Amino acid sequence: MIPTQHDKNQNSIITTENLGKTVKTAEGPLSILSDINLQIKAGESIAIIGESGSGKSTLLGLLAGLDLPTTGSVVIDGKELTAMDEDGRAAVRNELIGFVFQAFQLLPGLTALENVMLPLELGGIKQAGKLAADLLDRVGLGHRLTHTPRQLSGGEQQRVALARAFVTRPAILFADEPTGNLDSKTGQHIIDLLFELNLENSTTLILVTHDPHLAQRCRCTLNIAAGRLA
Amino acid sequence: MNRIVLASRLLFRDGRAGELTLLLVALVIAVTGTTAITLFADRLHRTMTAQAADFLAADLVISSSQKIPRAWLEKAGQLHLKSAESTEFSSVLIENDELLLAGVKAVSANYPLRGFLKITGTAFKAAQTVHAGPAGGEVWVDQRILSMLRLKIGDTLTVGEKALIISHILTYEPDKKGNLYSLSPRVMMSASDLAATRVIQPGSHVHYFFQFSGSADAIGAFNHWLKPRLEPGQRLLDIHEDRPELGTALTRAERYLGLSSVVVILIAGVAIATATRRYSERHFNATAVLRCLGCTRRDILWLYISQFLLLGMLGSISGCLFGWFIQEALFHLLQNLLPGQLAKPGLLAVFFGFVAGLAIFFAFALPPLLRLQRVSPLRVLRRDLEPLPTGAWLVYGLAVGLIGLFIWRYTDNLTQTLSILGGGAIALCILSLLVRGLLLLAEKSVPRLNITWRFGVQGLTRNTGASVNQIVAFSVTLVAMTLSFTVRNDLLDNWRQQLPEDTPNYFLLNIFPDQQASLQQALLNHKIKGSRFYPVVRGRLVTINDTPVQRIVSKDSQGERATHRDLSLTWSASLPEDNRISAGQWWRAAQTGQVSIEQQLADNLNVGLGDKLAFTVGSEQFDATVTSIRSLRWDTLKPNFYMIFSPGTLDHFANTFITSFYLPEAQKYLLNDWVKSYRGITVLEVDALLKQFKSILAQLTEAIDYLLYFALLAGFTVLFAAVRASLDQRLHEGALMRTLGAGRTFLRQTQFIEFALTGFCAGLLAVVLSESIIFALYRQVLELTYSPNPILWLVLPIGSAALVGLSGYWGVKEVANRAPLAVLREAE
Repeated sequence: MIPTQHDKNQNSIITTENLGKTVKTAEGPLSILSDINLQIKAGESIAIIGESGSGKSTLLGLLAGLDLPTTGSVVIDGKELTAMDEDGRAAVRNELIGFVFQAFQLLPGLTALENVMLPLELGGIKQAGKLAADLLDRVGLGHRLTHTPRQLSGGEQQRVALARAFVTRPAILFADEPTGNLDSKTGQHIIDLLFELNLENSTTLILVTHDPHLAQRCRCTLNIAAGRLA
Repeated sequence: MNRIVLASRLLFRDGRAGELTLLLVALVIAVTGTTAITLFADRLHRTMTAQAADFLAADLVISSSQKIPRAWLEKAGQLHLKSAESTEFSSVLIENDELLLAGVKAVSANYPLRGFLKITGTAFKAAQTVHAGPAGGEVWVDQRILSMLRLKIGDTLTVGEKALIISHILTYEPDKKGNLYSLSPRVMMSASDLAATRVIQPGSHVHYFFQFSGSADAIGAFNHWLKPRLEPGQRLLDIHEDRPELGTALTRAERYLGLSSVVVILIAGVAIATATRRYSERHFNATAVLRCLGCTRRDILWLYISQFLLLGMLGSISGCLFGWFIQEALFHLLQNLLPGQLAKPGLLAVFFGFVAGLAIFFAFALPPLLRLQRVSPLRVLRRDLEPLPTGAWLVYGLAVGLIGLFIWRYTDNLTQTLSILGGGAIALCILSLLVRGLLLLAEKSVPRLNITWRFGVQGLTRNTGASVNQIVAFSVTLVAMTLSFTVRNDLLDNWRQQLPEDTPNYFLLNIFPDQQASLQQALLNHKIKGSRFYPVVRGRLVTINDTPVQRIVSKDSQGERATHRDLSLTWSASLPEDNRISAGQWWRAAQTGQVSIEQQLADNLNVGLGDKLAFTVGSEQFDATVTSIRSLRWDTLKPNFYMIFSPGTLDHFANTFITSFYLPEAQKYLLNDWVKSYRGITVLEVDALLKQFKSILAQLTEAIDYLLYFALLAGFTVLFAAVRASLDQRLHEGALMRTLGAGRTFLRQTQFIEFALTGFCAGLLAVVLSESIIFALYRQVLELTYSPNPILWLVLPIGSAALVGLSGYWGVKEVANRAPLAVLREAE
């Protein structure tokens, strides 16, 4: 197992100041998010909830450095994402962040094992194969290493995605509606697995969801309405 | 009606969203290319045919040994054809106690219907161009008539019983016949004076030429009407047969233009197929929704086909317009080279472009489009449910069928078309197998590669089927481009070799043996480069293995023409340059009674090695045995012979000599001296003919170059279409990779490696295929000599790797730049 990279003694792993996002539309500028100020401590689990179009996924994208804000800043583990270029942000994502998406987002041309190895290889970590296989075994897919996403069920694909997210032992895990595409039983199984892995790795979890039951499993809930923290 | 509205609305929305841009561009290029080339080739062909007609002095000529029936002329009149007539005969002229056998040509008022005559008042000085023959009472003569008969301009020359005033020296007549060796000096007079000469009596040896000109349709109709009515001794003159040097160039150029059209169609077709595939894939989701809402498979098919029909018409009309402007621009660029009188662009060619455009569009777009009707409605729930691909037989069958039709149209030969298609199909299968082999090799090497290379290679090996298709598509495009380029170069080289700067522009004939040595020395003294001096004996082939030749030859064949007149017979100890032995052996020792016969004539007369041929010279008959068969080129403007005998065979017959040489403008005064010093020799000037021929070749070269640029443009469109076709998947994967931490440099490198490898494989296979096709093409269609091209083996794979690699790098650069948040948005 590889050691986690972040400093556990540091209090805030994510800090935002006056974070805002405005897009241009035919009718003029449209504010999607404004004045978001957050301090998220390492190891916390936070659910971001809100109605469709409230700006949840936009906030997640900005926190993860997948998009740039119009105003304000995002600092992760002492590194100001908003001051970095795209390649700098990509390096931070590889080092500190894991993702789980609603639509699984596995690369269709790669096998389950290759999908999980991918972030390790991008980070230049040796023994990627062994680490990935161990984790796939941990999520119950040790017998399906060479299967491509097309040959796996939705639940299995999401388990591969979980293995891929945790394989680098990230400091932060961003999950965007991770059960949105699954039936309730499979979804429940995935959520259990997610929280188990989160606990094992002491990862900071930031979860976007519509599901109040799921939100309740997190230590803290952020409610977004019309682009602002409610 | 609602459906049409829906189809139009969807088409309009797709168009506005940029979904159709690439497809429309590919279609417009295909139609522009087809229309421009069809229009250009058709117009150039008609212009060149008209120009070539100058060499016949008409569009159609009947050569006859007697007057043609009045009904024929009436038929020509009904078809609104213009007609002229020339009568040729030999006559002995006597002036100032000198005798000279002259070739007299009496021409009617309309002569020449095409082309022009050149006359001058002073020998070998600048001539003026005129478009009618001499007026009644006047005569125009060769310079040699004046020197031989000691006459000057303004003197009287008596032809038969009619005295005529010599008003000009004739330096050029368009339809001088190719039988160079028996040429007597020319006397041209008006047909109105012919009766008064009283030369033509029953039984006189006279030859009539009836010339016609008019619209292509009327000439075609007249030609069709005439053919079954021709009797022995009458035949239609044809530019391809009667001017072999010009005919060969025209035939090759026509085939090249046709080939270029097929190349552009094929390349643009690949672009259309690729762009439609992307269109189709991008509409899977929308189609699934439509099917959920109750659309049947037939509704779906109708919806997309009607959209494509609208798109096809839009693209075809725009393509036709662009094609029109492009051919106008081409003719504008070439205006200095082309004759002043250009044929008008043919509306039929535009219509052909439009119809061909729609046919090309559907032949290449239909297979990927048909996939849409197979989209399952279940796809609304499971996005990974992809419709079955269209059957390979339909994909290739439609495309190959259409290309076959085009090839058939241009070669007009079913066997040739089928062998090209069969060869192409076999080549495609071999190509696909080779690509699979290469990909397998690449896959095996993956574990040993670093991550960048591994991802680059895996980009190819992940989806072998798609990679094979893409590499084969690039290969076909490259093959097409290479073919255009290589054939063009070899064709031009071949023409240049055929007519180098020092191509002979003069022939000297009727040189007596006692003049030969001195004349040869004179040429040497003035450093004039010429061919050998060949002895010439005039004789006629009478029997083959004791069977009279007239029983063997078929009507209107080369054999008939060669045996109906005296041939120039020669002898030689060595094989003349440009001649090749195709069967038998050239004589080693001087053994008389052997003959070497020209290949085509041998084929025509069915003569083989060991056959006994009998000839008459004057009243004497002699035999010779065929010991070799030679192939040679008639289009080199050097003395060529059907029959060459072993030395000694013709010794006891009187002979003259013939030679040809290149005389620069500055040395032309020498001709005057020689005509005076070597009495009796004939000077035949082919300068004007040569210049006109070179000008036609220059036009063709330019035209061919522009066509090549067009093929290249189409090739680049394919490249771009193919790169863009995979863009959606690449954007998604790129965004995901960046989400997981991949840097932009990494993404760019892997993409460059993947595309460069695609290009390299395609280039490697293209060179193998091109060389095979060029070999077959040269042997079967263009009749050129094949030699392997080592530079191609180096340049094509490397060039293709660089080109495809860079295009890929540039074409998908947004993959590395797009914000990865898009992935999350899609998931929302």
